[in-house]
Amino acid sequence: MSAPTESGAPGTAPLAAREPLTEHPWHHRHLLDVDGLSAADIGLVMKTTDAMKEILARPITKVPALRGRNVTIIFYEASTRTRVSFEVAAKNLSADVVNIAASASSVSKGESLVDTIRTIEALGAHMIVMRHGTSGAPYLAAEVFSGSVLNGGDGWHAHPSQALLDLYTMRAHLGDLHGKKVAILGDVLHSRVARSNIWTLTAMGADLWICGPSPILRGFDAWAARWANGRGPNGHGGFTVTSDVDAALAGADVVMALRLQRERMDAGLLPSLREYAARFGLTQERLRAARPDALVMHPGPMNEGVEIAADVAVLDRSVITEQVANGVAVRMALLYLLSGVHSGWHPEGAIGG
Amino acid sequence: MAETLRMGVTGAPEANPLRVGQKVELLEISRAWLVDPVAGREGPGEIVVRDGILEAVTWLEGDEAEGIGPDGVVVAPGFIDLHVHLREPGNEDAETVASGLAAAAHGGFTSVCAMPNTTPAADEPGVFARVRGAAVASGSPVELLLHGAVTVGRGGERLAALGELADAGAVGFSDDGSPVKSPVILRNALLYAGMLGVPLFEHAEDTALTVGAEANEGYVATVLGLKGWPAAAEVVAAERAIAVLAAVLPDAPGARLHLTHLSTAGALDAVRRAKAVGLPVTCDVTPHHLGLTDEWVAGARRWAWDAIGEDGSARDPWADGALVAHPYDTACKVNPPLRSAEDAAAVLAALVDGTADAVATDHAPHSQVDKEVEFGLAANGISGVETALGVLLAAVGAQRMTLGRAVAALTTGPARVLGDRAGRVGARGLTERAPADLVVFDAGAGWTVSTATLVSRGTNSPLLGRELAGRVLLTVADGRLAYRDAEA
Repeated sequence: MSAPTESGAPGTAPLAAREPLTEHPWHHRHLLDVDGLSAADIGLVMKTTDAMKEILARPITKVPALRGRNVTIIFYEASTRTRVSFEVAAKNLSADVVNIAASASSVSKGESLVDTIRTIEALGAHMIVMRHGTSGAPYLAAEVFSGSVLNGGDGWHAHPSQALLDLYTMRAHLGDLHGKKVAILGDVLHSRVARSNIWTLTAMGADLWICGPSPILRGFDAWAARWANGRGPNGHGGFTVTSDVDAALAGADVVMALRLQRERMDAGLLPSLREYAARFGLTQERLRAARPDALVMHPGPMNEGVEIAADVAVLDRSVITEQVANGVAVRMALLYLLSGVHSGWHPEGAIGG
Repeated sequence: MAETLRMGVTGAPEANPLRVGQKVELLEISRAWLVDPVAGREGPGEIVVRDGILEAVTWLEGDEAEGIGPDGVVVAPGFIDLHVHLREPGNEDAETVASGLAAAAHGGFTSVCAMPNTTPAADEPGVFARVRGAAVASGSPVELLLHGAVTVGRGGERLAALGELADAGAVGFSDDGSPVKSPVILRNALLYAGMLGVPLFEHAEDTALTVGAEANEGYVATVLGLKGWPAAAEVVAAERAIAVLAAVLPDAPGARLHLTHLSTAGALDAVRRAKAVGLPVTCDVTPHHLGLTDEWVAGARRWAWDAIGEDGSARDPWADGALVAHPYDTACKVNPPLRSAEDAAAVLAALVDGTADAVATDHAPHSQVDKEVEFGLAANGISGVETALGVLLAAVGAQRMTLGRAVAALTTGPARVLGDRAGRVGARGLTERAPADLVVFDAGAGWTVSTATLVSRGTNSPLLGRELAGRVLLTVADGRLAYRDAEA
């Protein structure tokens, strides 16, 4: 059972009848992107994640919050860590979990996404966690599904739970990120992680630097120019785009490397993995430009020896495995928050307080 | 409205309403705003149609003209659309010749030029015969003009039966949907079509630059994680086609190049320069490329001229709070893609300064099956023949161009592009003693675009739910009724 609350016995009363978790309520039915999250929304996710971390520290990490709720996880792209992370998170909350590997379902027989979502709904899903290779696909799912859709990564567009777990991990070490320098290094053009991190980190006031070779930074200079000089969307600061690794890393509090895929060479975007590693790989030597205690992050899976040197990934200040652990807590928080806004249903018992 | 419009069979106008296809025996419109782009004149006036013939056009002056303006009932020559897709044969779920002609009449068009990218493609006259048969069977008086394919099966390798297609009345040759990929085939097609006196309608796109492309390359596509569709793909292709045209002219003085649905400042500049040195190049632009922008893909729904800042650069829909609809609406997916506000401004400027000869809709109806999918997988195209007038009137209302220019771009402009192949009504003025071919619309009355109000089978319009000005009351083609508003 969840942590005790001031109103007394844990168990059956809906959350709304209890002490509110925070002054700021959660209004979003779906989590499709992070661009619509206010700083207060993000704060609520962080606070709820704290409560989930506390649960995860117990001998028994299961609470009944989502008992009787069906969470269907459908991944149209191969993934181990994100899919398992969502599954563990949902099970910790006592949800009934259905896992669909899209390649093994009727999807491979040509069923449309809309039909698949309607079928999942008819089978009793209350929430869908979806990974899809096409940018925007979760929006289509959300249009036809009467429950909540949680975007587990769509194309190049967004990976909300990853950006939030990255943020949680940074805050755990650095506290307030305002003015803290965060450098993201790698294949930004094809990265949903980079895009979502741009939204969340600029919302937090971080001094964000985006770095990589020009062909895989295409378009980001124009984006940064739009947001320069305080002209970004409400509450979002600007960021800096550069191909100068040393400038990006100088004095950084956080350095995040992104995966570089071999297909980028085949597409003629870059000369070779060797040249990439030599010019942009995160090595101990390059890392010396950053602050001595700078965090090293990577959303995984890593290509050791390409975008990150093997000895960098295992440094004390590398928080790569901590990101994975925090991922479960953040996803528990997101499932919990989303479950409480739809059709009058409320999670069972309160979490934290 | 009832005071200005009286129509019907002589003697019993109310009891015996006209049906589509029937000759208009008597039509009197008094106290309307007349636009005659051939005479270069517009103003208060009256018309009388008798036995399908435009019998009298009377211009009013002085007291009689009092209170009549361009914001009320307008009478103009019937519109010509250089570029529509009617989907028959092969994709009748999306549109048929009958539904497409009915939709055209609802949009005020009395002549449409159908593209040959049907299944099979119109690469020989047999397909023409089939399509014309469907038009006759539909009973619509809207004139159906046909483009023939440039290459066999639009495959880009061997020339289609260009001479036979010309003999069968082709008004243009085009592999639209795709460019003529090989510059060698493009050269030979321009030479052969030039010999025949038929213009080549080129879809200007360098497809090497647009593999997998989803949305205009720029800020919106970057933020949404959509694969960029660079403006350069159109500019390169337009420049190439113009250079090839210049090279063939000594051998084929009759060669004519028409670049269709241009969407970028760069390509329009190329046309402007080509025209300045006297090359026989024409071009059209679409209503959606001058009125809509790529920020619609993100969920904005403001007109292009409202999406641009005072410094002439596009505004940020995220920072402006301009996002009012879901992002990734596949109704906004079109080839060429909705461009930046800067490009849209260049499209409008090109129309105003005459660089663009015509507005063509690129009416591209699609079935729901082809649109209710992931954005990247959705078919390209906007169902646009019914909303063209409304988008242009929005630009007129925002004082971005004149009503006269908008009407000319839909009448005399396309007629000039077609030249002597322009069909039965030629230059499109309000010409007395000629068969009546006209549209009557109320610039002051709106209508809401919806799946119910659209006549086309394709309801793939980003304008769904929006009220447009310029409700079409009546369309008369070749003296016969093509469309009549239920309340007119």
